[in-house]
Amino acid sequence: MNVVFAVKQYVSKMIEDSGPGMKVLLMDKETTSIVSMVYTQSEILQKEVYLFERIDSLNRETMKHLKAICFLRPTKENVEYLIQELRRPKYSIYYIYFSNVISKSDVKSLAEADEQEVVAEIQEFYGDYIAVNPHVFSLNLLGCCQGRSWDLAQLSRTAQGLTALLLSLKKCPMIRYQLSSDPAKRLAECVKQVITKEYELFDFRRTEVPPLLLILDRSDDAITPLLNQWTYQAMVHELLGINNNRIDLSRVPGISKDLREVVLSAENDEFYANNMYLNFAEIGSNIKNLMEDFQRRKPKEQQKLESIADMKAFVENYPQFKKMSGTVSKHVTVVGELSRLASERNLLEVSEVEQELACQNDHSSAHQNVRRLLQNPKVTEFDAARLVMLYALHYERHSSNSLPGLMMDLKNKGVSEKYRKLVSAVVEYGGKRVRGSDLFSPKDAVAITKQFLKGLKGVENVYTQHQPFLHETLDQLIKGKLKDGQYPYLGPSTLRDRDSVTLWGAIAAQNPGSLGML
Amino acid sequence: MASNYPPPFDDPVEVREGFLCPLCLKDLQSFYQLQSHYEEEHSSEDRDVKGQLRNLVQKAKKAKKKLLKREGDDRTDTGAQERYESFSYGGVDPYMWEPQELGAMRSHLSDFKKHRAARIDHYVVEVNKLIIRLEKLTSFDRTNTESAKIRAIEKSVVPWVNDQDVPFCPDCGNKFSIRNRRHHCRLCGSIMCKKCMELVSLPLASKLTSASKEALASHTSPNSSPNSIHGSRRGSISSVSSVSSVLDEKDDDRIRCCRHCKDTLLKREQQIDEKEYTPDIVKLYEKLRLCMEKVDQKAPEYIKMAESLNVGETTYNLEHANDLRVEVQKVYELIDALSKKILTLGLNEEPQPHPKTLQLQRMIRYSATLFVQEKLLGLMSLPTKDKYEELKEKRKQEMDRKLHMERQATLETQRRLEEKQKDLVSRSTAAPNGEVPYPKRGTVKKSEGWLPTSSLPRQREIADPLLQQIDNITSFIKQAKAANRLDEVRMLQENLRQLQDEYDQQQTLKAIELSKRQAEEEEMQREQLQVLREKEWEREQHKAMSQHSRTRSLDFREVKQHQHESGKENLNQIAQSLDLDTTQMKSSPSSKTPSPDAVQKQVPKENSVFPIKPREGPQYIRETDQNQTLLLNPFEDEADTSQVEDPANTLARDSSQVVSLPTKALHSDKKEYNPFEDDEEDQQTNGATVYAPNPFEDNGNSFQKSVNDQNSGNPFEGLSSTNPFEVDDNEISGEDIIEEELLLQQIDNIKAYIFDAKHSGRMDEVEVLTENLKELKRTLAKQKEKSKC
Repeated sequence: MNVVFAVKQYVSKMIEDSGPGMKVLLMDKETTSIVSMVYTQSEILQKEVYLFERIDSLNRETMKHLKAICFLRPTKENVEYLIQELRRPKYSIYYIYFSNVISKSDVKSLAEADEQEVVAEIQEFYGDYIAVNPHVFSLNLLGCCQGRSWDLAQLSRTAQGLTALLLSLKKCPMIRYQLSSDPAKRLAECVKQVITKEYELFDFRRTEVPPLLLILDRSDDAITPLLNQWTYQAMVHELLGINNNRIDLSRVPGISKDLREVVLSAENDEFYANNMYLNFAEIGSNIKNLMEDFQRRKPKEQQKLESIADMKAFVENYPQFKKMSGTVSKHVTVVGELSRLASERNLLEVSEVEQELACQNDHSSAHQNVRRLLQNPKVTEFDAARLVMLYALHYERHSSNSLPGLMMDLKNKGVSEKYRKLVSAVVEYGGKRVRGSDLFSPKDAVAITKQFLKGLKGVENVYTQHQPFLHETLDQLIKGKLKDGQYPYLGPSTLRDRDSVTLWGAIAAQNPGSLGML
Repeated sequence: MASNYPPPFDDPVEVREGFLCPLCLKDLQSFYQLQSHYEEEHSSEDRDVKGQLRNLVQKAKKAKKKLLKREGDDRTDTGAQERYESFSYGGVDPYMWEPQELGAMRSHLSDFKKHRAARIDHYVVEVNKLIIRLEKLTSFDRTNTESAKIRAIEKSVVPWVNDQDVPFCPDCGNKFSIRNRRHHCRLCGSIMCKKCMELVSLPLASKLTSASKEALASHTSPNSSPNSIHGSRRGSISSVSSVSSVLDEKDDDRIRCCRHCKDTLLKREQQIDEKEYTPDIVKLYEKLRLCMEKVDQKAPEYIKMAESLNVGETTYNLEHANDLRVEVQKVYELIDALSKKILTLGLNEEPQPHPKTLQLQRMIRYSATLFVQEKLLGLMSLPTKDKYEELKEKRKQEMDRKLHMERQATLETQRRLEEKQKDLVSRSTAAPNGEVPYPKRGTVKKSEGWLPTSSLPRQREIADPLLQQIDNITSFIKQAKAANRLDEVRMLQENLRQLQDEYDQQQTLKAIELSKRQAEEEEMQREQLQVLREKEWEREQHKAMSQHSRTRSLDFREVKQHQHESGKENLNQIAQSLDLDTTQMKSSPSSKTPSPDAVQKQVPKENSVFPIKPREGPQYIRETDQNQTLLLNPFEDEADTSQVEDPANTLARDSSQVVSLPTKALHSDKKEYNPFEDDEEDQQTNGATVYAPNPFEDNGNSFQKSVNDQNSGNPFEGLSSTNPFEVDDNEISGEDIIEEELLLQQIDNIKAYIFDAKHSGRMDEVEVLTENLKELKRTLAKQKEKSKC
């Protein structure tokens, strides 16, 4: 169940099927990002794919000596473009792959446009989502809900993405959804509908325990995305922003030209792959080791390569050295920038208070700390607003809630209207009224003892004490303790055994970006 | 749909037209009749034939289903077994997941083909009809036949439409009259006026007919692939002008036809043209691919050979390997040349090629460069003839040695035990293998006090077998050096390094254990005694250990890493220090006891031997420094300072009177004439440390402080262990005699790098490399002069 691999396999297969010869890859905007997430340019060049074109680009030349591999989403516009293309083919032969189910009528109109018989293949390859990590995918949708209900276009896109995911992984799952969320239910129904309609496609080998698709609503845990994270990938995403594995460093002071935009991909960056989930301190020491390693391999100019041994070492190490210098400079820059931002924004202190707000129930101390930080000029508007949001979420119904006071503090600090509005928006989005579960106070005896014990032991790391609610949900799911009342099955289900197989990817990707939805 | 053609024109006179069965030539009136006939009569016939007629068979529903199913199955089988190549992710290991097969897919090809066929078949049948008629019309000698006879033949080819039925020209709508006469299309029999009439010249006709014959032939051949069908249907507009230029010729040379038929024929002609025309880029590209395949075949073979030869094995012939190397290199050159040619295709033409064409060319070039980079740079060099002989010899000796090794090891232990009981000084002289004692030894005493905290001696007591091995090898090295066999020395050092690595690892474990106990007084004393017997490399080892014991208390994890690294470094240093000894002895054979003074005298001597070096050095360094990429090393300055100042470097302090004194002298001496060192440090603090993570360091600290139970050690602490010997490297290595052939090889390699760096636009690297190249060439010239003298 590796989504990166699944998409990569699809792309490899497309390229293989077209045989030897120069090729051009014809894509639309979305498939371009889908492919770029799993293949690097040099990798794909080795497979004789030399050009990458957008189907909607007008500036394409007729090159009859190229084979065209078309990887497109089956949208109306794309089909129309393709019909135009086939009427006046620019390339010798076309291998067409749609990233999702395409209607029979579209196939027919394409066939009728193909008067010159240039189409050699037309298939559905279900790589219709952006594979971020082996276990995480995204659909890169912003603002998929309006209020509490789906934007219909986004709903269908999400359903398409999910069904494509299921097909690419060859899973025909049971579906559970979060009862308290209407969008979750609607999405579940949509997916189910597709599965029923395309039952032929979903006819996979049955496993003993059927896989499970669990659909959750981000609003159930609005806390987690408001916290500052301290692992590598999460920090980069939080502080610099990762967009399809690309990181924009152009705002970094004194950045060199080559490093304006860097690519961080676990697929071909060993250091990143090994460190992306480590915390910041560990990365510090690892990057130091990387540097030392690099230093050792670095050809020493002083030595001037006078002996054969020097020469040999130099020559043999040179290619590795080159590769390494790229990695080193990239990571040193990124980590350096992260640490600069962390100190500039006083993130350690902010994070400590954030964690306190998220994990502890001491109102007065929390209130004090938030107020103290709001006075601190180093804390940015954004962080200040987030602190107040966390406070508002946690102590929404607390007897001595002093949110208005904090709002005044925000205003005095000069935090813009835009950010201040977010506070009430986030309460509306993920407040108690909305949540299907209680984030802050444990309900059952087991959970209470657990928290008590935790309190006795002391926290291991103040910056990472918060555990996302998802963790608990999944834990219960694996143990078979997830309540049917809260997360019902869709449709009549006879199999209510323990569901050990779960589509983690689907869970992690649901309702991407809570802040984006506000 | 070419299979709708009748069978090959074996006898052009007997051309038959219509729905002929391709196997028995029986004429069937319609497509469906033909289909059912085929199913009935020939379904049991040879598979091969069936394959040739796949397109036809496909039309038959039953057969179609079968075929498609088979195709589909094959496809899923091939893709499924692809291996996943990726790194393991921190915390998430995709390898642990269940094996994953290619995701689901669904083909619409059959549907698509069905819809397309409905449209295309009509067109194909039409074209073929026209071409067959054209064939018939041109199959006789038109110029020498009476026009009446021609007309008769023409009429027999296609039934002409009755004049009365068409009162107006269907194309322009003009009424036919005596002036505006009716003309018949010879290809379809329809009527039009003179204005609307088109003409087909004989050359065009013969081109079309002969091409379709070829196409047919290729389609009925058993190897025909479905792709070639598509290949036969391309079109360009190039040939239109040639056709219109012959319009004025006599009617005998041309065949009248209607616009519709003419269009169809012209389209067909375009397709034929396209098929036959291969642009230059394709030709070059095909050659390029051939070369790449060749490399893929030959390179692994060569590497296998070179590896074996470099170890001194006799499995392969050196000359043969050399030939292969040359061959592979030539292919690389060819790849380079071809891709360059592709890159510059059409650049000098007016108008310039389309930007996309240029992009394509650039990408091909780029991928070729990547290919060369990856493969060529992995191509190791071969030993020269003499060297190979040496290697062989060495390998032999090595094998012998390995046999002896174990025996010696046991002897060693015995000897060691004996030694312990002997007097200190006398013991130290009795080195293994009857080594000549170092006169220096006497002074070693003074360094007694330099190990007070080290826990190492405990391990020395245990007399690790690894250590014995290491001892042995060091003694070998010394012997070899005495015999001036530098190559052997190098190899032994390699050996030593491996052992040392192993030992380091052991030591780490032990050190951690030991750190938990108190070092006892007794042991410390014993330690000190032991020390006296240590040779230089052992001292290095101690130093490493003492460092470890320092860091040990901070964090075990760190220790491991450090030990590993510094251990390695130590080995290098050891090797260097050993080198130093020999070179000293070499250069001043008269004084076998290199006292500090002697060495100091020696240094200037060396300088005079290589006067160029110091002069060039600073300049060169400065240049490269400036061009250095910004973050070559943010940590370097720290390393530099610790090199001199590390207070814990007890060796530097205590052994100043002994071994390290000469080197210290060297060091300081060097400083006098080598100003670039300071230069460099300045540079680094000023410019190169843009990324020096000072803010980061602070941060790391504060972060760790608050993270109570994280490692308390500063991650930036404890930089690489240092060594006063390191700086001397230059002087020593300069004395190595460089073999000419190897030099040449290296020059070649460097050239390749320069090319590569230039190509990818890393100018700073280019400069560094060019500098290196110059250096090499100079050395080469020097070498030649020397050999002449």
